[in-house]
This record gives sequence, structure tokens and C-alpha cells, in this order.
Amino acid sequence: MPQSATSALVAGAREGFAAFLPFSVGLVPWALVMGMAMTSAGFSPLEAMGMNLIVFAGTAQLGTLPLIAAQAPLWLIVVTALALNLRFVIFSAAIAPGFRGIGQPARWLCGHLLTDGVFATCAERMQQVDDTRWRLGYYLAPSLWSWLLWQSFTLLGIFAAGVVPRGWSLEFMATIALIVLLVPMARIRPMLVAAIAGGLAATLLRDLPLRLGTVVAIVIGIAAGFVAEHLEHRSRQS
Amino acid sequence: MNDLSLWLTFLLIGLATTLPRAGFIVLGSRVVLPPTLQRALRYAPAAALAAIVVPDLLVVDGSVAVINAKLAGGIAAVGAALASRNPWLPFIAGMATLLALRHFAG
Repeated sequence: MPQSATSALVAGAREGFAAFLPFSVGLVPWALVMGMAMTSAGFSPLEAMGMNLIVFAGTAQLGTLPLIAAQAPLWLIVVTALALNLRFVIFSAAIAPGFRGIGQPARWLCGHLLTDGVFATCAERMQQVDDTRWRLGYYLAPSLWSWLLWQSFTLLGIFAAGVVPRGWSLEFMATIALIVLLVPMARIRPMLVAAIAGGLAATLLRDLPLRLGTVVAIVIGIAAGFVAEHLEHRSRQS
Repeated sequence: MNDLSLWLTFLLIGLATTLPRAGFIVLGSRVVLPPTLQRALRYAPAAALAAIVVPDLLVVDGSVAVINAKLAGGIAAVGAALASRNPWLPFIAGMATLLALRHFAG
């Protein structure tokens, strides 16, 4: 590999890591909660870590856990997992142009490592840069870092189950982490419209089964942002 | 559920997780979404983040509550994120507000 290609990878990795670092704070309590939840569902440490390594998805793991514990039929567990992951079809399509020029094995790895935070950090930035190596570095640094954090703190949670007092409300750190990602996006008017519409729709539709309300709300938010963009464009022209 | 079927369950949940995520990334330019759809999809992150955050801040025990400690903590975090570039400040402001209100509310 030529020197310049390596340094582009490293430069991208450094910038991606810096952009993602504040978000990763929110992963810690989330992973601890995950470890504790799997332990309290009756999994042995080996089974819990096995699920964590094979699945690597907070919401899909937490969402299917009660079904597994209740010995629900396999198809229902799989359908639930798919529904919980549906938003990633949208994310995957939106971020895909950022992987132009990158080989198939790396794409599978990157796809497996895609999370909400990594998507929010990388989606816009990867469209703007031409250098393939830089883009790969910018994506891999935050995604590998969040994988490592997730696995380590889930392991800690498995063994620490019951030690951290519930009264600390540490899970709220995850919500704050999402807010930290959302605020800079919402400085652009149509993005703010998309966020308000999506947020309110998700609140109103929260009782739909299988968390379908979240998926519907995302579609409503996207439509609202798109309409707002067109209206803004038209009023600027007239 | 016996050991083998538990691991089979993990494997299937794993597929149901990785395929939606990797799908379009792996297919890449062989499947091209129309430009209009791609532009619309730029709003996906903001809409999705809000769809996760807003219900979490507004819903307490299954019903919407406009006055609650989590919402106050969330507003404090938004304020901190707008006012300062310090990446840790929203966490400190949000958690402090939440825990203080929970403490004083009994």
C-alpha cells in the first residue's frame, strides 16, 4: 500500500474518531444495561456474550429478549428482530454512496458494524470526500471503537448485574447522546421540521405493535423535511 | 428452550440484524436509488433520532406528560449543546437536571 493511501486512511480514522467520541459516552450505560438484562433473562455468561457477538444490536437484542425468555415461536422472534432493524434499511441506502470504490469484504464488515451513532456521524461526511481510503478510515474508526466499547461494557454488565443502583438512571445518558447528535442537524430548517414531525409522530404512534410506530414516524419525518425543503426553495425563488 | 435452539435463535436474529444493515451497502451501485429518494433520505437521521428521543422524553408510564424530569433533563442537554462546543457539557447538564429534579420531587 502506498504511503499516501495509508496516511489518508489514518487521517480519516482520526477525524471520524474525534467526531464520534462524544457520542460513544452514551453507549456505556446502554451496554451495561444490555449485559444485566441478558443475565436476568437467565443466560449464562457464555450465552450472553454469544448473543452479543452474533447479533450486535441494542434494540433488536433488548426487544427479542422477553420473547426468547417466554419461549415464543421462532418466526415471531425473527419478525420482531426484523421490525426493530427496519430503520437500518433506510440508513444503509442513505450511506451506501459513501462506500463507492470500497471492496465487497469491507462492505460486509462495515454493514455489520452499522449503528445509529455511526450512521449519524458518517452519512453526510462520507458523501463530501472523494478519497476512498479516507472514507474507509472515517467509517471504521468510530464503528470499531463502538464495537469494542459495546462488547467490553456488556461483559462488565453481565458480571456487574445488580451492583449498579437503578436509581442512578444511567440509561438516560443514551438519550442525551442522541440529543447531542440531533442538535447540530436541526440547525438546518428542513431538518428541524423532519425532527419535529418524526418525534411527534413517534410519540402519538407509540402503541402500534412491534415498534412499527417508529418506522412510520421516520417516514412521516422524512416526508415533512422533504416538503419543507421544497417550500423553502420555492419561497426563495419567488 | 434447549441449548442448540437457543444458538439457532441467536443466529437468525443475527441475520435479521446484519442483512438490513449491510444490504444496500453491499449492493452498492448495482442498485441505485432514484436521486429524489436519495435526497429525501437525507432527512432519515434527524427523523429517526427524534423518533427515538421525543417519546422517551414525553412519555411517562405510558402516557404523555408535558412536565416531567426527563423532559427537563433533555431541554437542559439541548441548551448545553446549543450554548457550548464542549462535548461533555450536555451530559453533565442533562444528568444533573434529571437527578436533581428526581431528588427534590422525592
